Amino acid sequence: MEQEVVEAEIVLPTHLSFKRIQMYEKYPKSQSRSRHWKHLKQILQAENYQNYPPDEPTYVNIESPPSMHPCKRICDVTGYEAPYYDPRTNLRYANAEVFKLIRSLPNDYVQRYLALRNAAVVLK
Amino acid sequence: MPFISQIQRQSDFNLFPSTTPIVIDNGASYFRIGWAGETDPRVIFRNIVQRPRHKATGETVSIVGDHDPALLKYFDCTRSGPRSAFDGNVVYQFEIMEYILDFGFDRMGANGAEIDHPVLITEGVCNPVQSRSKMAELLFETYGIPSVAFGVDAAFSYKYNQQLGVCDKDSLAICPGFSTTNVIPFIDGEPVYKGSCRTNIGGYHITDYLKQLLSLKYPYHMARFTWEKAEDLKMEHCYIAPDYASEARLFQKGTKEAEDKTRSWQLPWIPPPAEEPPSEEEIARKAAIKEKQGQRLREMAEAKRSSRINELENELHGLEFLLQQLEQVEDDDIPSFLSATAYVSKQEIESARQKVSQSLRKTKGEPKGDQVEAEEKIDLAQNEKFPLIDIPDNMLTPDQLKEKRRQLFLKTTSEGRQRAKQKRYESELEQERKNQQDEEKRLENPELYLEQLRDKYKELSEKVEQRKRLKTNGNHTNGNSMSGAVGRGERLSAAQRERMRLLTTAAFDRGKGEDTFGARDEDWQLYKLMSKDNDDDDEGPDQEEAELTRISSRLQEIDPTFVPKSELGTSQPVEVPRFRPLTKEDFQIVLGVERFRCPEILFHPNWIGVDQAGLDEMAGNSIRRLPSVGQGVEERLTNSIFLTGGSCLFPGIAERLEAGIRMIRPSGSPIKVVRAVDPVLDAWRGAAAYAVDPLFPTQTFSRTDYFEKGEDWLRRYQLRYSL
Repeated sequence: MEQEVVEAEIVLPTHLSFKRIQMYEKYPKSQSRSRHWKHLKQILQAENYQNYPPDEPTYVNIESPPSMHPCKRICDVTGYEAPYYDPRTNLRYANAEVFKLIRSLPNDYVQRYLALRNAAVVLK
Repeated sequence: MPFISQIQRQSDFNLFPSTTPIVIDNGASYFRIGWAGETDPRVIFRNIVQRPRHKATGETVSIVGDHDPALLKYFDCTRSGPRSAFDGNVVYQFEIMEYILDFGFDRMGANGAEIDHPVLITEGVCNPVQSRSKMAELLFETYGIPSVAFGVDAAFSYKYNQQLGVCDKDSLAICPGFSTTNVIPFIDGEPVYKGSCRTNIGGYHITDYLKQLLSLKYPYHMARFTWEKAEDLKMEHCYIAPDYASEARLFQKGTKEAEDKTRSWQLPWIPPPAEEPPSEEEIARKAAIKEKQGQRLREMAEAKRSSRINELENELHGLEFLLQQLEQVEDDDIPSFLSATAYVSKQEIESARQKVSQSLRKTKGEPKGDQVEAEEKIDLAQNEKFPLIDIPDNMLTPDQLKEKRRQLFLKTTSEGRQRAKQKRYESELEQERKNQQDEEKRLENPELYLEQLRDKYKELSEKVEQRKRLKTNGNHTNGNSMSGAVGRGERLSAAQRERMRLLTTAAFDRGKGEDTFGARDEDWQLYKLMSKDNDDDDEGPDQEEAELTRISSRLQEIDPTFVPKSELGTSQPVEVPRFRPLTKEDFQIVLGVERFRCPEILFHPNWIGVDQAGLDEMAGNSIRRLPSVGQGVEERLTNSIFLTGGSCLFPGIAERLEAGIRMIRPSGSPIKVVRAVDPVLDAWRGAAAYAVDPLFPTQTFSRTDYFEKGEDWLRRYQLRYSL
């Protein structure tokens, strides 16, 4: 290790005296690095919230409902109010200038703009 | 710097008695750890872990938090980016969590056999039991911590500010955090989670949105928009517009106000060295070089021309000599004599001589004339050779009749030739006159004349070039010809393609409505156009080419600087694509609408595809979710809306929130929005103040509790915030 790296102590020591079980004991290198954690979705599934009393607050039921306000549509490129919508690219746009721009955009840029609001075409 | 890390190793760990709790604010963006009862956390760092490979040794190491990028050059970070233990506001990867806790305790100065202090650690609202129990397990088993308490960060921040008198006992806490935004109603100083709600949007999404928008807006500078830089820009420049639509309209109209609100970030840019006008000497030197080159080219052209003339003259002499010899040779010996040469007959030699002399003239730049003379001679010889013509038919024998018909034919052709000669003579005269006029003009104003001649030369040569190009491949008009695409269409000449077009249109026109083909006479012209041998050209180009050679030879005579184009070897002017020189403005990142568009997603999560209510609506939802309490409570809640969490630092958020909540509450409701003293650190401070309370141990649970009471108990475990 380089001198300045050692001095800055940015690398976490592998052995720490205050630990009862060291990292290398818990996650030995020889063992296959298979996943030993669950995604949040899997965690929530395993919680079996359906068995809980209905009025008990849980991680799932405290989520906000969808908005009841009419959705404000903004231009995907400029952020201005967007009265128009281009059926070819599915982008919303504010005026003719932006329209010209979006029609000249390559498809991957269009998809990236759409991905910003989670509307891109996703191939599975 | 957006990330203010504080990672000096503390030395006083062992001075604290084992009853002093360690307080951890385990937020999705920052990890803060310190001692209960103190005002500030001892160690703060970003809640991320990187596991790069050390370049020199090749071993994988763990690096927790943010560090000087200069130090990271020794590591190969390409295979693994920074990782977080969080998914939303829930810890799910406990391996990463362990690295973080290791680093935190290590920097706190722990060096004993275990961490012998109670721990108060924060978690999200309604944290799933699995995450909670894993965290407890980790703390108990790995670090030997005697007892643990879990609390909600927003609640600690609320408690802290309530004690400071910022907010009331009944209050609605709105906490826009890093990955989620929570609204928690507090009644009598205790959170009512039943009435809380969570939208999965936070500072992370704002930064990401800004980063994406900027990299889409400035694709050339995409590499500049690192996560850290975007976070920096967000914290420095973003604000919440009082009314998004009207603010955006300001920018759309390009008003002065909007201009004032626009920020621009100048990327490092070095102006290209300004092109100084070349000095006199330089110009002179260049001109001299050019002149020299031109001189050389002209000499070369001249040498080429003279050598060609020489060659042709030699050939001509040879042929003339051959002819002379041929005259001396006996008629019978001619075939044997000729077999020694490459010619078969005398005529062939003569025609070859003629050709050579013609091309000699052409190279010398003289007008055609020899041919005419030769023809004249023949004509003269042939004149008066038609004795039978004037004799009436009935006086002739059949043989003579035949002869007469032949003579008649010859006569008409020779007359025709005579006429043509006459015409040619006239045109020659015309040419002569023109030449004379030319000469006069030249003498009159040599400069202008030269200019005109040059123009004409240029025009003609371009025309000829174009024609040539059209003939070989006609698609010079469409710039793609340079791209090297050689499909069938590209290989055909313009005329051929036109023919193809005609054929296809004719073929596909059938059956489309009424067939009126042939009704008009012009229709039949189509076949003429379609016919295959249509594409051989008229005499036009030849004339033009002749004119071109004439002018070029004339120019060569009178203009010492003239160089014929074909000698230069450039068949067509090559258009070099011109790049606009990059200016300072190309290296400016302009933040206009983005300044308020990005944080606006807190109020309109659907702009980034999250179909949930925004901040203002959440407040309404939260109040509605509360179990039926008196009217007074609702009013008391709205009268003390408390903002905390890192993403409430945007200027204008309180005003906007007030306006938004006013819209959804009954008219006349008292609405007051207050912000935490320090929205970022108050959660830790509140927790530290809470943990120092003598009643704190009643809220913790030990390892034995954890194992004896079971999961169901852990699920219902809840801290009482008012001790």
